[in-house]
Amino acid sequence: MTSRLSRWGRACMLLAGLSALAPVLAQTSPKVPQGSLLPKDSVDASTFRGGLVFANYCVTCHGINADGNGRAARLYNPKPANLRASDKNDSYFGLIIRKGGAALGRSEFMPSWEAELTNEQIADLVSYLRSINVAKN
Amino acid sequence: MKQPNASNYLAWGLCCAGLLVANSAHAGEHLVTQKNKAFSVKKLTVKVGDSIKFVNEDSFAHNVFSLSAPKSFDLGSFGNGGSKVVTFDKPGKVEVECAVHPDMRLDVEVTP
Repeated sequence: MTSRLSRWGRACMLLAGLSALAPVLAQTSPKVPQGSLLPKDSVDASTFRGGLVFANYCVTCHGINADGNGRAARLYNPKPANLRASDKNDSYFGLIIRKGGAALGRSEFMPSWEAELTNEQIADLVSYLRSINVAKN
Repeated sequence: MKQPNASNYLAWGLCCAGLLVANSAHAGEHLVTQKNKAFSVKKLTVKVGDSIKFVNEDSFAHNVFSLSAPKSFDLGSFGNGGSKVVTFDKPGKVEVECAVHPDMRLDVEVTP
């Protein structure tokens, strides 16, 4: 019981402290109402949008897990790239998305997307691919 | 009994060749264009042995493919004015898609 009371006490003190700091925080950081949308230019927002682009355009070949096991993967040899394990940098991702595989000496079945996707969509897609990539580069 | 001579064999050969030519002449080629991110038809019935020629009339590339059991293929990307042909050699339903434009769809019924 003593321990529980002291925990309550610490929580009350923390709340009191935060309340005292609130006017200062309000002056120094931008006011973002709770539940508001992510800022459009944030990395999180870009990654989220990129995930939608990936789900719409890329999963057929690369698969929902981006591991190269999409439903169309069986048509190709070599199979579509495992994007989670890719050691390529963001510039390379952007380039192969824009120009297609053949332009970079990769699979001719990776289409060029520059006529279909906007620059923002491509940048978002690269953000998403970076967010799921586990390769060290 | 009279033995067949060379001219008989020649006649048989010509006859068989004629039948083969007649059979291949039966196989038709259907034209399907791609314009405004859509196939010119949504459904098409073809016979086994028939082909479809896909012609891209859009200013950007299309990538026609199918994962259906009777005919799995990927024609790769081809731009404005480009065309690709695919022949259907088994009966069944073939769903044709475009890898670049997920909303594009063509249902091909291949009949015996």
